[in-house]
Amino acid sequence: MTITLDDLRKKFERVGYICDESTALTVYLALDLGKPLLIEGAPGVGKTEMGKVLAEILETELIRLQCYEGLDETKALYEWNYQRQLLRIQMNRNLEDEQIREEDLFSGDYLLERPLLKAIQAQKPAVLLIDEVDKCDPEFEAFLFEVLSDFQVSIPELGTVRARNIPVVVLTSNNERELSDGLKRRCLYLYLDFPELEKEVAILKAKVPGIADRLAWETARVVAGLRRQQDLRKKPSIAETLDWARALVALNRNRLDGKLVADTLNLFLKTHADQQYFRREIGPEGIDKMLKNPENGGEICRCQ
Amino acid sequence: MPVSIKDKMPQSSESMFEENIAIFVGLLRREGLPVGTTEMIDALNALARIDLANRGEFKAALRSTLVKSYRDQALFSSIFDHYFVPREEHQKRSEEAVAYHQQLKNQINRADSELQFKGESLQLTSGELQQYGSLSEQQRDRLQDFLHKTETGKNVESRFRPLLETVVRSHLRYCRTKKKSMQESSGDGAGQEAGADPGREARSLRETDIEAIRAADMPAVEQLLQKLSRKLAIKILRRRRSGPRSGTLDLRRSMRENMRFGGIIFNLKHKPKRRSKQQILLLCDVSASMKQYSVFVIHFLLGLQEVVRNLSCFSFSDNVENLTPGLKGRSDLQHILDRVIRQSKNWGGGTNLGRSLSEMTRKYPDLANAKTTVIVVSDTKTVSLDQAIKELEKFKDQVRRIIWLNPLPLEYWPDYRSVKEIGELVEMWPCSTIAQLEEVLTGRL
Repeated sequence: MTITLDDLRKKFERVGYICDESTALTVYLALDLGKPLLIEGAPGVGKTEMGKVLAEILETELIRLQCYEGLDETKALYEWNYQRQLLRIQMNRNLEDEQIREEDLFSGDYLLERPLLKAIQAQKPAVLLIDEVDKCDPEFEAFLFEVLSDFQVSIPELGTVRARNIPVVVLTSNNERELSDGLKRRCLYLYLDFPELEKEVAILKAKVPGIADRLAWETARVVAGLRRQQDLRKKPSIAETLDWARALVALNRNRLDGKLVADTLNLFLKTHADQQYFRREIGPEGIDKMLKNPENGGEICRCQ
Repeated sequence: MPVSIKDKMPQSSESMFEENIAIFVGLLRREGLPVGTTEMIDALNALARIDLANRGEFKAALRSTLVKSYRDQALFSSIFDHYFVPREEHQKRSEEAVAYHQQLKNQINRADSELQFKGESLQLTSGELQQYGSLSEQQRDRLQDFLHKTETGKNVESRFRPLLETVVRSHLRYCRTKKKSMQESSGDGAGQEAGADPGREARSLRETDIEAIRAADMPAVEQLLQKLSRKLAIKILRRRRSGPRSGTLDLRRSMRENMRFGGIIFNLKHKPKRRSKQQILLLCDVSASMKQYSVFVIHFLLGLQEVVRNLSCFSFSDNVENLTPGLKGRSDLQHILDRVIRQSKNWGGGTNLGRSLSEMTRKYPDLANAKTTVIVVSDTKTVSLDQAIKELEKFKDQVRRIIWLNPLPLEYWPDYRSVKEIGELVEMWPCSTIAQLEEVLTGRL
């Protein structure tokens, strides 16, 4: 899976993943050093998308492990297919001449591969996306970094299963809790922040077909201005910006104004408190003022 | 074939390069960043794969391999910018350093020639001589005048020299202390240095004793507390996906599910666990020494109003006062300060924990029940400790659990009987910094 930094940049561009130089470099280093990549950042900045995009770029399978509280080895690594084993025992009861042995029941036929095992058993190096790793329990995290350091697992009945191919591992975290030093030590670290204005415009143009140039800039400026508001509980993510822009295109709009922003508020501010904040502190007038004065650094003026 | 830094430069430069990286890693460690040997090896391997002449790539490679937390990135960036400087800047700094050393040398020589007694230099350290050199012209004249007058006084002998040296040292120490306190009161010096570095500032704010946080830092602290309480709110809100063995066995569903297997139980079905929203009762000691701690904890917990079913907030000193109605829907620090301190009847009184708890149980019997988690913010210093212990024992039986946040430094705990006896009844945690507050509440709510 050899790839140069230039190739990677071009491929990111080709698949429409707009990112900055240091992001591309970190991903390249993770691929070249064969290290897992831990991506942190606010929700909706493109962490999970990175896993998907890498699978597309490397033309390989994406295996996703969604983490949650209570996730254990049986859901992440492997489990025996007890139902099938029981059925086999039932079937053999009536066949007196055929003795069933324990090894028969604990063979590959009865093994249910979960994402981690599937990733290390894949014929071609796969992309293993371990999503929202901060949501799993610390015990599972400890188990995880053992798998990630050796890329082998021990199944008591079968012995040690070594990786056929080392997968490209991408871990994402919303930073809800501090991850263990052990896990971090095994990974390269990338923090994805909300994109710069120009990058967001490029993303809008790449992902929203038919968006007018002016609308793309104005949408990006309004969103950037809102993200600077410290009192917003949930800042608009890239995905929400895209949804909003698609809705505006569907409404045949090619420019923004304060009233339109206020009318379509539900598409990018997803809590009642944030909507109230917008109406109280910004309002359509604040948006209009900001759009009329693009030179003021994108600050959204307050109504007062 | 694996690439190494050896392939990129001659051997002599290679060892110097590795040494430089090791020194840089040492600097990061000195500032408290957890950088291990593995990370350093990763960094060297990463550097072998990039264009070393490209500063952006060089920085990004070091950042992604050495720093594994967003919180530390600003600090990393600041140390990197100071350590790896462009050639011109390096040249400029070298010249400045040479000039500075020359200036220091001149200052010391001058001080040595000016601070004399009976034709001989005073025995002062180079640091003291340097400090003399940094005094204002007027201060130096005053000191010289004093030496001259002493020298030309009556019955002055050479054996007075040590005494004179002590006097000069004391005067220099006094000047140093005065200068430092003036810098601190005008917001210069250390405070300003910290302000210039956001990474270091946020880090140090988290780890500063809450009582020592200055008024100028309050906006930053408010933001930090908001961020932390939102983080905790998300954690509490997070839905637990029920696992296969999450609750008690559901016999009815298990039998129905396994009818298709002819009565053989293949799949067991369990009742999902019910998660009810937490009910929190916050009791804050508002005696003079506890004011700032209590305000910060209230601010932190008010951020959770949306996710906990019932958050009630009381202050106590000599008796209890219900702060909940005045704080509902308002979580800004200034408002809390107003409500807790300026409008409070309790503020600044002596602490009587026993009486406060008994009043709490009598006046608000509905709030302390088996679903309530009680958070007490207090240093345990109370009058009538024995009565307080009895009341606390009764109170403990009525509620689910009591988490006691004690801002008293851990090393003083053994000195207080109250800490020992109360600590045996409740879960007591040290809580003198924002970092500790976050750790205690994130792990336990």
